[in-house]
Amino acid sequence: MSAIELREPRSIDEAVALLAQHADQAKLIAGGTAVVIMLQNRLISPAYLISLGRIDDLRYIRYERGTGLHIGALTTIGDAQRSPIIRKHVPVLASTFGKVANVRVRNAATVGGNLTEADYASDPPAVLVALRARVVARGPNGTREIPLNEFFQDFYETSLAEDEVVTELIVPEQPARQLSSYIKYVTRSSEDRPCIGAAAVVNMDEDGVCQDLRVVLGAVAATPQEVTTAEALAHGQRLTDDRVAEIAEGYAAAIKPLSDMRGSAWYRTQMIKVLVRRAIKEALQGPAAS
Amino acid sequence: MKKSVSLKVNGIEQDVMVEPLHTLLDVLRREFKLFSVREGCGVGMCGACTVLIDGKPMSSCLLLAGLASGHEIVTVEALAEGNRLHPIQQAFVDHTAFQCSFCTPGFILTTSALLAENPAPTPDEVKEYVAGNLCRCGSYVKILDAVLDAAGRLQAEPQTVQREAIACPQRHPQHQWKSPTP
Repeated sequence: MSAIELREPRSIDEAVALLAQHADQAKLIAGGTAVVIMLQNRLISPAYLISLGRIDDLRYIRYERGTGLHIGALTTIGDAQRSPIIRKHVPVLASTFGKVANVRVRNAATVGGNLTEADYASDPPAVLVALRARVVARGPNGTREIPLNEFFQDFYETSLAEDEVVTELIVPEQPARQLSSYIKYVTRSSEDRPCIGAAAVVNMDEDGVCQDLRVVLGAVAATPQEVTTAEALAHGQRLTDDRVAEIAEGYAAAIKPLSDMRGSAWYRTQMIKVLVRRAIKEALQGPAAS
Repeated sequence: MKKSVSLKVNGIEQDVMVEPLHTLLDVLRREFKLFSVREGCGVGMCGACTVLIDGKPMSSCLLLAGLASGHEIVTVEALAEGNRLHPIQQAFVDHTAFQCSFCTPGFILTTSALLAENPAPTPDEVKEYVAGNLCRCGSYVKILDAVLDAAGRLQAEPQTVQREAIACPQRHPQHQWKSPTP
């Protein structure tokens, strides 16, 4: 058996100190749904497994006027899904959390763990990038905030330093009349990871003219994909079928998708056109739709 | 290196020696002899290893036993009272909501958690909640019938989980556990 040692710090500072002490020999574990599989497959073999499970101050969900939604990193995805606060203020996020894996995984996996795992085929990142969310990271030298579009660097790689722990997810206050949607497109079974995750956030003025459009695609490449040139086609325009189709084509042209067991690159290119269109249309249908 | 950890299983607290990477699934089967908890996929997707942790269904194949102290761990062995089946179990029997029954403990525990959260689910709500429990024999139609029926039975006759529970079947006088003759 390996010589791995379990550590259960009781506070964030204790966890950070352990990480700083053991550096690349340590691995954090929260819910364990990703890390236990990596350990069993020998993808990682740390000497120290630092469990965050005893740190109660990282489990909370708060909404503050002005700054928005604050979710403690150890909040489970299931608790976030069921949270009346998230359902009220950012309903697309609550429903996205509800689409992750299955009920058992959601009861163990944490919001912070999901983000730091940086799996390319995960649901929350695409929506969170579209909502312009950021994380708070704490290290031995203090805390910093990292916008999510900078946080995800590559497959399973984030911009966190070796001795940093994500402590909170912040979703800024969203405009009151904002429309949004998230489509998890699966090609195999219902609890599968997405082949494509399409998040759309639309802001229109009273005349139905689009002021701001954000579309972010997950699971098509190493990190969530946003094509600003395509989004720009919507600004100051009405989102007619033709306009939406043009935007979707823009996404398909700009993204070089990957191939995996859920779909080939070619298939993803075809489906990007479909899902960008569907995500925008679903958002436009309003809250009752999703 | 093995370390002692105190686990509270089906109401009874017990110290066991575990390696750091032993999963709760390993320990429940090997140390506690609770064979209702099974390995199907080993990656948290099939639900055969479902246990309730503080009332919530989780995959025991993805939980490290060394980190599981301080929680209420419940397996399906805790549901029946002696020879009297829990209403959910009885509904599964009455509807023959199983064939090989390998997945059945997982479905029953998940159903127990579903009905605690949502006592009168619609068929769609049931399907969504148990979507992560797989039945390779294809008993889904009967399982849905059993879950909806169980919801009705529980509303008529609410159960409590706080009972004298049994950690190891061989310690219960009614279970005469004999090893197979070699």
